[in-house]
Amino acid sequence: MQESIIDINAICHTFSDGYIGIKNISVSISKGEFIILAGKNGSGKTTLLRHLNGLLLPDSGIIFVNGQDVSKHLIQTRKTVGMVFQDADTQIVGDTVFDEVAFGLENLKVKRAKINEKVTLILENLNLLHLKDRSPSTLSGGEKRKLAIAGILVMDPEVIMFDEPFSNLDYPGTLQVLSTIIKLNRSGHTIIIATHDVETIICEATRIIIMEKGLIKEDGEPDRIVKYLESYGVKEPCSSKFGLGLQPWLT
Amino acid sequence: MAHVTPFTYRQGQSLLHLLDVRCKFFIICIVSMSLLSAHLPACFFYFLMLLFFFKKSGLNIFATLNSIKYFILLLFFVFIARALTVKGDIIFSFYGISITGQGLNEGFLVAFKFFLVMLTGLLFSTTTQPSSVKSAVQWFLKPIPFVPEKRVAVMISLSLSFMPVILKQAKEISDAQKARCADLQKNPVKKIIRLVLPLLKKTFLSADSLVLAMESRCYSDDRTDPEFLPSGKEIPFLIGSFIISLSLVWL
Amino acid sequence: MNSSKQLRMTVYTSLFVAFIAIGAFIAIPVGPVPIVLQNMFVLLAAIILGPVWGLSCVAIYLLIGLAGLPVFAGGTSGIGKLFGPTGGYLLGYLPAVFVTAGISKGLGKKMSSDVIAMLIGSLIIYAAGVPWLKVVTSMTYEKALAVGMYPFLIGDALKIIAAAFIAKTLRPVIKL
Ligand SMILES: Nc1ncnc2c1ncn2[C@@H]1O[C@H](COP(=O)(O)OP(=O)(O)O)[C@@H](O)[C@H]1O
Ligand SMILES: [Mg+2]
Repeated sequence: MQESIIDINAICHTFSDGYIGIKNISVSISKGEFIILAGKNGSGKTTLLRHLNGLLLPDSGIIFVNGQDVSKHLIQTRKTVGMVFQDADTQIVGDTVFDEVAFGLENLKVKRAKINEKVTLILENLNLLHLKDRSPSTLSGGEKRKLAIAGILVMDPEVIMFDEPFSNLDYPGTLQVLSTIIKLNRSGHTIIIATHDVETIICEATRIIIMEKGLIKEDGEPDRIVKYLESYGVKEPCSSKFGLGLQPWLT
Repeated sequence: MAHVTPFTYRQGQSLLHLLDVRCKFFIICIVSMSLLSAHLPACFFYFLMLLFFFKKSGLNIFATLNSIKYFILLLFFVFIARALTVKGDIIFSFYGISITGQGLNEGFLVAFKFFLVMLTGLLFSTTTQPSSVKSAVQWFLKPIPFVPEKRVAVMISLSLSFMPVILKQAKEISDAQKARCADLQKNPVKKIIRLVLPLLKKTFLSADSLVLAMESRCYSDDRTDPEFLPSGKEIPFLIGSFIISLSLVWL
Repeated sequence: MNSSKQLRMTVYTSLFVAFIAIGAFIAIPVGPVPIVLQNMFVLLAAIILGPVWGLSCVAIYLLIGLAGLPVFAGGTSGIGKLFGPTGGYLLGYLPAVFVTAGISKGLGKKMSSDVIAMLIGSLIIYAAGVPWLKVVTSMTYEKALAVGMYPFLIGDALKIIAAAFIAKTLRPVIKL
């Protein structure tokens, strides 16, 4: 058994309008896992992710990140657990690519020289350095998504959560983002991807969690879980349907 | 709406591009002020100098003039109004309206000065990145009490990155309505509401997710200061602009 | 105010700065004079953001224009525009937004009080803009009013009615 990094203990969340978003969820996530959080729209994936870095706090239950209670260590949690949001357009704060990536470090009051060094390194790794003076709004969909990833990576998170990372992306954009995510996992990051479309990534995943109506319905290895997907309103990958097993999407 | 390009900044490596933005701000202030009390020959002299700098920064003066054509029209109007109302030696008159020599002179001078101040500002904004403008604003606000200059700087960045998003969504909304024949709507109040209300609703939702994105990147008002990269030519430029200002006032 | 609420107001205020800037470019074709939406966004900022955030909204808008970012009408900016013939209207936004927000808040954010507040706000904008126009162009008052106020009054009335409806629908959505 690997060392666990996130421990969720019996959390519930009720929204202010009385809707119950999360119903008594307990999960433990280990270092280095690649998890797909699947479920149809409205099943509570986004709500669960937001609990993991303290954007939402549970009404009851408790979440530990690296053994620390999230509600008492918000800043530390947000450094450890980064979140890439669904809509790349609405998470851009900076007016150049460089400033956008630097934003998180500026919030932590890191020294300017250190910021410049780190941002340059990250942009280089993600192949974005040539765009550093561009206005983010002029980037392509895939580049924007990678920029959002860069803005999170620069804070050295151990866990990176993606909310619907492939929505609204064209084929080349999907490829760019997919290979970036795979690289991140290989370099030791724990990855959690919330999606209603598992086909692109299922082959890379080490675990699938299926949610429905705020509950966790299935949790296990992709080979075993894949057959249940359609009963929860998630499309089963073609290769598996045709009895070919799980085929990598990225060839 | 599509032709609106909210930013006039052009990339480049000219002297003016590289000059420290605070120095440029300062020069604009003293030169604009001394322009106010300048006489016609000095204004022409200054105009020639502006043309020189436009050329040197690789900018097309005609394209620039075209971009401010409405302002020029307004200045023409100021010129006419002055020419008609200032008392003096009548050059010619008809139906009780008379144009005076003093009026023509004064009208021309006033309009010309506004034009020059405008051109100076354009030279500045075409050679200065919006993000360095923001940094300079923060730097100049710092000594003013009760103004949270760091938050103001973040707000400037945010509003600059909202602008393209709003324009894009405005276009989407108006296209979607055209497809449903909303053009036939004659009631102007309804016309306004049908464009603006969905636009505000949509962008406020984006703003909500931006708040979350900023929180998850540890937003704080207490952040790293911006950095300025002087080109080393600031002192000669400052001295030069002092000389120009003085000659504008005395010539 | 807790930090999360403050961050939300910061972002909303920046959003309205962007709307005011873009309002100079969004025109609705009605009759011979197209209705430009900028002053409507100023008034909306007032009744939605309240006096303090509303005032900082307009102040930041003017500041970025003054600092040389092309956010004033016609894609222009700078001292030349702010102190040019139409600069009075721009500076008039400052007292207008504050007073409008104060009245709307004081009278309880109903539609009728919003309309009154915005009417007074519009008048303040003209009270600053028209004399300024008169001085810079040295026109008579009659002429300044004829070119700088009367042609826009009908459009303003329409905008105020629209803005009152918009504010009424928007307030519950954004839960301030
Ligand atoms: N702020 C909120 N107030 C009330 N209900 C909400 C709120 N946010 C989400 N919900 C509801 O919670 C449910 C789960 O939403 P979400 O986690 O976004 O689902 P998913 O990401 O799986 O599509 C949805 O039915 C949604 O309507
Ligand atoms: Mg979701």
